[in-house]
Amino acid sequence: MSEELDFTQIEMSELIEMIHDYLYDGMADEVVAGVKELLRRDVTPYNTLTQALVGGMDIVGVDFRDGILFVPEVLMAAKAMKAGMALLRPLLAETGAPQVGTMVIGTVKGDIHDIGKNLVSMMMEGAGFKVVDLGINNDAAKFLGAIREHQPEILGMSALLTTTMPYMKVVIEALKDAGLRDKVTVLVGGAPVNAAFAEAVGADAYCRDASVGVETAKRFVAIRRNQVAVGKP
Amino acid sequence: MSNSESSFCHIALVPSGRRGKVPLGTNLLEAARALGVELESICGGRQTCGKCQIVVEEGNFPKHGVICTADHVSPLGEGREAAYWQTHGFCGRRLACAAQVLGDLVITVPEESQAHKQIIAKAATERVIDVHAAIQQLYVECELAQMDDRRGDWERLQQALAQQWGLKNLSIDLLALRALQPALREGKGALTVAVWQDTEVVRVQPGYAEGAYGLAIDVGSTTVAAHLCDLRTGALLATEAMMNPQMRYGEDLMSRVSYAMMEPEGVARLHKAIIEALNKLAVKAAAAAGSSPEGILDIVVVGNSVMHHLLLGIDPVELGGAPFALATSGALNLKARDLGLTAANAAARVHILPCIAGQNGPDNVAVLLAEAPYEQDETTLIIDVGTNAEILLGDRRQLFAASSPTGPAFEGAQITHGQRAAPGAIERVRISRDTLEPRFKVIGCEDWIDAASPLLTLVTGICGSGIIEAVAEMFVAGIIGSDGRFLETAADRSSLVRFDGRSGEYILAGPTQTASGRAIVITQNDVRAIQLAKAALYAGVKLLMARRGTARLDRVLLAGAFGSYISPWHAMVLGMIPDCDLSRITTVGNAAGDGARIALLNREKRSEAVRQAQLVEYVSIAVEPAFQREFVAAMALPHASDPFPQLQGELPARRMGESRARRRRRLSMQRSGVPAERTDE
Repeated sequence: MSEELDFTQIEMSELIEMIHDYLYDGMADEVVAGVKELLRRDVTPYNTLTQALVGGMDIVGVDFRDGILFVPEVLMAAKAMKAGMALLRPLLAETGAPQVGTMVIGTVKGDIHDIGKNLVSMMMEGAGFKVVDLGINNDAAKFLGAIREHQPEILGMSALLTTTMPYMKVVIEALKDAGLRDKVTVLVGGAPVNAAFAEAVGADAYCRDASVGVETAKRFVAIRRNQVAVGKP
Repeated sequence: MSNSESSFCHIALVPSGRRGKVPLGTNLLEAARALGVELESICGGRQTCGKCQIVVEEGNFPKHGVICTADHVSPLGEGREAAYWQTHGFCGRRLACAAQVLGDLVITVPEESQAHKQIIAKAATERVIDVHAAIQQLYVECELAQMDDRRGDWERLQQALAQQWGLKNLSIDLLALRALQPALREGKGALTVAVWQDTEVVRVQPGYAEGAYGLAIDVGSTTVAAHLCDLRTGALLATEAMMNPQMRYGEDLMSRVSYAMMEPEGVARLHKAIIEALNKLAVKAAAAAGSSPEGILDIVVVGNSVMHHLLLGIDPVELGGAPFALATSGALNLKARDLGLTAANAAARVHILPCIAGQNGPDNVAVLLAEAPYEQDETTLIIDVGTNAEILLGDRRQLFAASSPTGPAFEGAQITHGQRAAPGAIERVRISRDTLEPRFKVIGCEDWIDAASPLLTLVTGICGSGIIEAVAEMFVAGIIGSDGRFLETAADRSSLVRFDGRSGEYILAGPTQTASGRAIVITQNDVRAIQLAKAALYAGVKLLMARRGTARLDRVLLAGAFGSYISPWHAMVLGMIPDCDLSRITTVGNAAGDGARIALLNREKRSEAVRQAQLVEYVSIAVEPAFQREFVAAMALPHASDPFPQLQGELPARRMGESRARRRRRLSMQRSGVPAERTDE
């Protein structure tokens, strides 16, 4: 950024739209400047997050889904989002803003391919989720440990090989044995995975790409919250 | 289930991988045709010629999303088909022309039923090999038994071999031993013995005899090729090839490993299939050379590590996931009969080259032997593109090996109109920079074809080399940008570029040019699939270059059947490989097969292979910290930041100016009919 940006004269709706564009173009410094300006105008951290950042990443997600944007562009957007989040995270905690949700994610045992998983992880953060990324090659014990520790609404598992994807079933069975299956929504993805496989191993849904992953996670979290609200298990 | 849904059935065809929906009641011959698989039929569907045989695969196929049972096709009945099977013996197959689709199906189309047989590009190339085979034929005159000599005939032969040939400490194969006394009697003490590695007698023949043959076999996951050689002269006598019959259990390597994991008899079936194939090839090669399989005394087999394990009957499950542990990485010396290789001399030997690592098997070691980059000062890159791209890089100081997860896009899989290299497939593409009109070449047809050409052949799809050229040409012609996205400006230039909503596609062949009567197109998703595959390859190469500490490649060798068809210029424009002097990018044909032949004909090369396999440093690309960065940077065409001086002036200028977000806003206004301010894109 060569010159200081002056947002002070810009209307609120236009400013939010500009932040959406900065995210879309992956311009981290500009996103941070925009977030600062919103906070200066006393927009709550929560509204800044949802309207400016999450709203912008929604557009990125839709265009990724439609093939308009590809992995490099989405990663840049996610990085810009992260820069804005870094600013907001302590403020969100201070103000006791509602949590969007928490996700534990990792590739399953035997699988060391993590670029797709990393993309999901970043898009989920972009949607405001707290993401606990376990990295690659995770056995059932590791997934279970993280679920007990972080109490996530969502568990995401990924595999790139037809030979490693059956391990997802091992993890889901372990969740059942530990009495944790109902506590968490299980989403699965990866090149060889499909909806029939997801159903066969007892996952809640298959997600074709990172963008669908975010939409699905949001949907399940909303359902869970509604169930809690009306007192169902 | 709604009515409209229940009146369509899902069909998956293997090994082509074609799938789709057809109306309930469709004739199976028609259904296969509709999905792009042409079956052989001489009688034209009259249930008499028996050429359109198919197999209904019963079971649950989550990969295809299909549960297939026998009653999903119309029953055999008592018509012409039943009569056909009565005459020819029912083997569990059906005639496609006589069967109707009654439910979801997985259908295997045997090789002989396919109308367009696969082209097999593996032919042994001419290379200079010093012939010093593991098998030596020696003429020896042996003392005959005497009353005062209590030794056995074998002991007398040992003495004769020691005296006449200086061979000591020999053993003899039991089957050769059984033949010894009759041979001695017939030859009146004169024998020709075949000795393996100066240690074991594997054959004895009476008198003077000539003729010791060997087989060099390259077990590819798609194609298996066998080269029959004279072990004395080194002459290549015959080459035979066939599809790997394991294809019916899984198209790519990992699905075969899955099959071995999931099916109780899986490993045994996969093992049996490949052994049967090798026996068939041995018989055919011997027949082609006018000899008999009995004369085959030595066999060298190479293949990737999964093929290696399945050949040996070892469960490949450990190769299905990290840490990709091999049962053994060393070279192996076996007896052919222990493997069930019966189409050879009963005492024939088998040598298996060593592995480098779990994902770099004996086929890579064979490529090393054939190209010997370890004897060069120049930095050489050797890539063998398949479902995985196997990469070797280095020079006489140090060599690195790796396997890059390119996926099957380069083989035409995951591409809308992708197919294997077979007659009817587009294999070369040129696109006019001005009009965006395509010209292309189709396998099985000599001439270039454009929209005005007479219809001598109908197009069935695009194979790997075709898709590489198509995407590279689309980039240079300005149909797609450096980021891989279809450019709206291209749609203004030609109706061959069209947008369905926001997603573009390019029409490569019009409906009148194709077998299906539907246009063959390259979609945005196809371009994305190629971007992912080529980025994985490029990133792997870059990581090895970094490990070797070099910023430049002196030469690039494209190995494998597919490598022979890749245009170096297009591969570079696409950014499959880093910049390199174009004249130093060469195809080396089936280097793995050549390496197998070298190991067959020269025993010192077998020890060299063991040495080099140990010296090569293996790099596990996917877990390298820099992989993701390199992978993402390599997704752009040809690359986000690496320079390509060799392509100077040939690539479209980088488009700067309008930001992505601004363009998005402008296009969405245009679509919604709001007149947008013009911007100069």
